[in-house]
Amino acid sequence: MTEPGADPVVDAVVDVRAADWRGAVHAACAPLVSSGALEPRYPERCIAIAEEHGPYMVLAPGIALAHARPEDGVLRLCLSAAVLSAPVEFGHDQNDPVDVVLAFGSPDDSAHLALLQSLAEHLLEGLADQLRLAPDRATAVRALSAVRPPSE
Amino acid sequence: MSPAPNRPLTVLTVCGVGMGSSLILKMNAEKALQSLGVEAKVEHTDVSSARGMKADVAIAQGLHADDLGSVAPVVLAISNFMDVDGLRRQLDEALRAQGWLS
Repeated sequence: MTEPGADPVVDAVVDVRAADWRGAVHAACAPLVSSGALEPRYPERCIAIAEEHGPYMVLAPGIALAHARPEDGVLRLCLSAAVLSAPVEFGHDQNDPVDVVLAFGSPDDSAHLALLQSLAEHLLEGLADQLRLAPDRATAVRALSAVRPPSE
Repeated sequence: MSPAPNRPLTVLTVCGVGMGSSLILKMNAEKALQSLGVEAKVEHTDVSSARGMKADVAIAQGLHADDLGSVAPVVLAISNFMDVDGLRRQLDEALRAQGWLS
């Protein structure tokens, strides 16, 4: 369990080949599932929510943020990104196609507030392009690691 | 047209889950409202909870906007959650149309 103020688990994958948006969601969640921050059912919940409500996770042109609720299998606060080698369609009328799929999970209703605030700031400052241009996984992880709640 | 509420506007940002997209939208709505000089209290929630709530303005993705007609007199459909300038323009136009901003 995450204690208050604990650092989020951050990871990324680059040059990902995804057959479709479902594959892209799985790819974005995969490193967080591997590290034990998310249960394997979490990406399935993200996909089920999108199937029920439409492409809620598509935030901006080319950018999606996969997420579900704490009870959908979040063990630790976490954030990841998958940069796709070829963009996929999420079925969004204006923001398709998507080539940067972020994923986050929060273990409760408030642990993620500061993290997402920081994520929004970094996206406004060009984080998605930094991820797209990252030549390797380590560079992408470094770019994404800049997103963190301000330390107390 | 209705008179400007004599209190901060209540604004609700809505997404499918109520955790992520709606929270980012809340932050950017706060920025946009501040730049318009509009005093507002912004909350975020999921679309199912939103249906039972009341606000002056509801902001959501287009795919949820049709569901929110009973929630607020002003419903804005947003496609790019990161476009603060675009959101400011939409709010400016909608609040002027209501007579809440002059």
